[in-house]
Amino acid sequence: MSEASNQKMRIATAILATLVLPLSACAPATGGDSGEPRAAIVYATGDGEPDCLDPHVGGNYPQALIATQVLESLVSLDENGAVVPWLATEWESSEDGLTWDFTLDSHAKFSDGTPVDAAAIKTNIEHLQDPETGSSTGYLAVQQISEVEVVSPELARLHLTRPDAALLESLAQPWVAIQSPAGIERGTDENCLAPIGSGPFVVSSWTKQDRIVLDRNPDYSTAPTGFEAASGDAPEQLIWRFIPDATARFAALQSGEVDIIDNPLPEQITTAEDDAALAHLDAPRPGASNRLELNSGQAPFDDKNVREAFIAAALVNPGIETLFEGTATRSYSALSSVEPLNVQSPEFYDTDPAHANELLDQAGWTERDDDGIRTKNGERLTVRFPVTGSQSTQTEQALFEQIQASVREVGFDVQITLLDLGAWYGALGAHEYELVSAPYTKIGPDVLRFLFHSDATVPAPSGYFANHAMIENPELDALLDAIGSDQNPEARAAAAQAAQQFIAEQQVILPVYDQQNHFLYRADLQEFRALPTVSTPWIGQVVAG
Amino acid sequence: MVGAAAVMCIVATLAFVALQLIPGDPAEAALGGPGSQASAEALAAARAEFGLDRPVLAQYADFLWRLLRGDLGISYAQKIPVAQVLAGAIGPTLALAGISLLLAWAIALVSVFIASGHSRVARTIASALDLIAAAMPNFWLASLLVLLFTGMLGWFPAVSTGGFHGIVLPALSLAVPTAGFIAQVCRAGVDNARSAPFVESARARGESEAGVRLRHIIRHGIVPGLNMTAWALGSLLGGAAVIEVIFARPGLGRTLVNAVIVRDIPVVLGVVLFAAFAYIVVTLLTDLTIARVDPRTEARLHRVVAGG
Amino acid sequence: MARSRLGVDGWIALGCVALLACCAIVPGMLAPFPPLAIDPTGAFAPPSMAHPFGTDDSGRDVLSRVVYGARDSLTIGVVATLGGLLAGTLLGSVAGGSRTRAFGPLRYAADRFIEALFSFPGLLLALLLISVRGPGVASVVIAVAISTAPGYARMVRGGVRQMLGSGSVEAAQVQGDSTARIWRTLVLPETLRPVLVLATLGVGHAVILAAALGFLGLGTPPPAPEWGAMLNAGRPYLTKAWWLTFFPGLAILTVGIACTVLGRALERREQWQ
Repeated sequence: MSEASNQKMRIATAILATLVLPLSACAPATGGDSGEPRAAIVYATGDGEPDCLDPHVGGNYPQALIATQVLESLVSLDENGAVVPWLATEWESSEDGLTWDFTLDSHAKFSDGTPVDAAAIKTNIEHLQDPETGSSTGYLAVQQISEVEVVSPELARLHLTRPDAALLESLAQPWVAIQSPAGIERGTDENCLAPIGSGPFVVSSWTKQDRIVLDRNPDYSTAPTGFEAASGDAPEQLIWRFIPDATARFAALQSGEVDIIDNPLPEQITTAEDDAALAHLDAPRPGASNRLELNSGQAPFDDKNVREAFIAAALVNPGIETLFEGTATRSYSALSSVEPLNVQSPEFYDTDPAHANELLDQAGWTERDDDGIRTKNGERLTVRFPVTGSQSTQTEQALFEQIQASVREVGFDVQITLLDLGAWYGALGAHEYELVSAPYTKIGPDVLRFLFHSDATVPAPSGYFANHAMIENPELDALLDAIGSDQNPEARAAAAQAAQQFIAEQQVILPVYDQQNHFLYRADLQEFRALPTVSTPWIGQVVAG
Repeated sequence: MVGAAAVMCIVATLAFVALQLIPGDPAEAALGGPGSQASAEALAAARAEFGLDRPVLAQYADFLWRLLRGDLGISYAQKIPVAQVLAGAIGPTLALAGISLLLAWAIALVSVFIASGHSRVARTIASALDLIAAAMPNFWLASLLVLLFTGMLGWFPAVSTGGFHGIVLPALSLAVPTAGFIAQVCRAGVDNARSAPFVESARARGESEAGVRLRHIIRHGIVPGLNMTAWALGSLLGGAAVIEVIFARPGLGRTLVNAVIVRDIPVVLGVVLFAAFAYIVVTLLTDLTIARVDPRTEARLHRVVAGG
Repeated sequence: MARSRLGVDGWIALGCVALLACCAIVPGMLAPFPPLAIDPTGAFAPPSMAHPFGTDDSGRDVLSRVVYGARDSLTIGVVATLGGLLAGTLLGSVAGGSRTRAFGPLRYAADRFIEALFSFPGLLLALLLISVRGPGVASVVIAVAISTAPGYARMVRGGVRQMLGSGSVEAAQVQGDSTARIWRTLVLPETLRPVLVLATLGVGHAVILAAALGFLGLGTPPPAPEWGAMLNAGRPYLTKAWWLTFFPGLAILTVGIACTVLGRALERREQWQ
């Protein structure tokens, strides 16, 4: 080897070494396996980032997730769906069901030091009912309450305009959680940034689009029955991170950078189940199942034959099997399978493309254009389907694409548009949809009244209406009213079953599966559970083992 | 300098024009788009707050004046000043872009060094690699790197926050395509220099082969590459938008993409203006540096300073 | 002889581009399956004889989707490049044009305008436009056109300046030819030849840029086969089904390389002539 080429080699080696050494020097990944106690629990959410942390304002699931860490409700549920004490230690209703007395835990204090008393309950209910607050979920939950009477600091009496069989279930929800009146008084803007409650954590700071830092509430003592405050060596902080990208979120969990993630993709769930360092918590949400709603208020789905044809043509089950890899089960009800009163009626949701074609022929959609789309009087059989990433995961969107492809075979032109959450609400508000998937979480069968009652075609103060199927039927309304107000549990159950039957017969929804609510977490975390109310994560008790 | 100021003025004007092109009611956009179902009073209040009820020229003057003071407006989505949104995001992105740029130069120099030699085979291979690198979509490269280094080897995390360890894959994803471009541009200069008289005379003087290559050929060749620094930085900032999303890195790029999705136009505009501003400043700096390094461009130095 | 001037690499690149053009124009002849045909039971099939590029999460044939994806990607690339060329030629002609005093300020303004456009990184400009106009193919095309225009404008400006000072233009002026005629017959043809060669390279960059926007979910709406969007959709399955991300990326890479090699080969030919 000549001297020149020798030197060439040396220089080349030197350059390569400077490139490679810094990379290899830091090669061993440390991550979260270092064994040192955690200073903070890091939770990474794929749900949207709320505009406002006060769950009274609007009232969606992302708000409920954070509210569960900071605020508490009057009552809670146990694993069997029975109502159990939380801030209220006991309660009693009058014979006619029009007055309810709630006795409060006399030790309960908000993190600002003020007591959780009857006056606070009054302020909270009034805050929810005030149109200025712009509540939609909580507003509906406390609709029947006409007045809160402060009998004594420990006794709040609720007066109702009519009996509400679902009152306790409604009050258990995080959207009706009780906040410090002093916090509410600061005004919406400030309260949205850091609502003050009595929960296990206190909002410390919020860096938009990145994280919320929550400090442990040192005086926390009011966990709901079945849960308790964390032991002394629990991490001092909860860091709530927003990582919208599902792949990045899971990778962060794998590397130990975060401890808990929500909304994992099915593929990630199966990977985690094979990984000893990770654990899986499956907590389907109560209330409604995930379903496609067919807008029966306008063409072409104002024709029942067309709705039936769509449902008969849509291929759902094979997609659920391959896309969800056994993590989701097909639903045939408007209600979540978590709801004891759900009725599964697969007979109404058979897949039968031949039948679909017959129905469409009967409905007058007999012509086909060059693309194979059916037409009637020159109109194409078009179905607008606005979809938002905040409400539908990537996997769910893939399923929608499969449904789109399968109904195309019989001549439907489904136009999926991906929108941001604001534009999506806008499209719904303007009735610019024929098909929509809008998850709705609420405890108990009363959710049916919220989704299918003719009253629910009228927007709430926030502008949202939940009856996307636009079904207005007096017979159904009567059944739904009975679910909401009948004091007799058996009559209530019968009404719920009849209503589900009616909805299935009307073919206004295509149920898909329960609202998926999976969490993956580092397996060394102890006591990570979901609250049985709306299945939000209970981090108050988590310790690192 | 005057030229740069004029360019900035045009950049700002273009930004203002973009604002005027937003379809629909800007007051409604400020309140969160059509989904917000804002009341007439709220719209009127927003109009007054953002000065949308004034004549366009007045709005334009106001816009320029506010920009001059570093006021980029209020984020529609986050309701805080855009400058504050950007301030938190600039650091991580500049760190990423800076490291990527250094890495890109390191890779490009290796390639250029090989190209300055006599081996035809090595030159051809290096040239082919440059070509592939330059055409490589960074988001695809990122996926492949994650597959290799996270999935198979487990060396680096797939999510990047803080620490040098997490910056390797994102920086590499951004650096490789940029390195391809820089190497391609340098190669022409290197090819010319290889047969230039001053190289022959250096060889005749008995300078070592490596010395000739380093001192004469490469030094000559990298000037066009240095000229591209501003462009490279701009393209790295653009690439950061995609890479930061993939690696869940906080920064300008992710802020930008989030803002685009929720149509938070003041933030989008803020990021774009920042990138344009950075480009102009870096162009000025590279012109000055090159002028200092290379005596032939002294005349150009005067021109730059005088504002030609 | 044209063959030797284009070179072997040039011919290979030309072949690649021709193949991609076929994909774009008559995808049905090359793709074994319709791009939207689902088969949930055959999802995630690895590459095989039946499905050379495998199948995706809905059992769609990835090869067919890559073939059909060429239409969107190449159309966006070509149309955007043409738009950028047109805008760049106009701007460059003004900036390099007439040396009369009256045109001075206009030339200065055009010069600065080109520099201003240069200072916006292409992808950022595209994102700004999308946030203003909303996502979609049209936004992508306009954005890519605007961001490539200053590059062409600079070349045109240089070419025009050089031509206006050349002997052939002076000769034509002495002959009494009108300005319009001089521009039509001399200045523009001479200036645009090398710019058109550069545009070949530009198509590759435009395709990559458009794919980046598709990757971010801001391009063609689903389930249309678009390379960037396909790549993104396959990302969660990277370890399970690498072919979902690998092949669309390879397609983008191929376009980029083929356009660059072809552009360079044309450039060489240009210089020889």
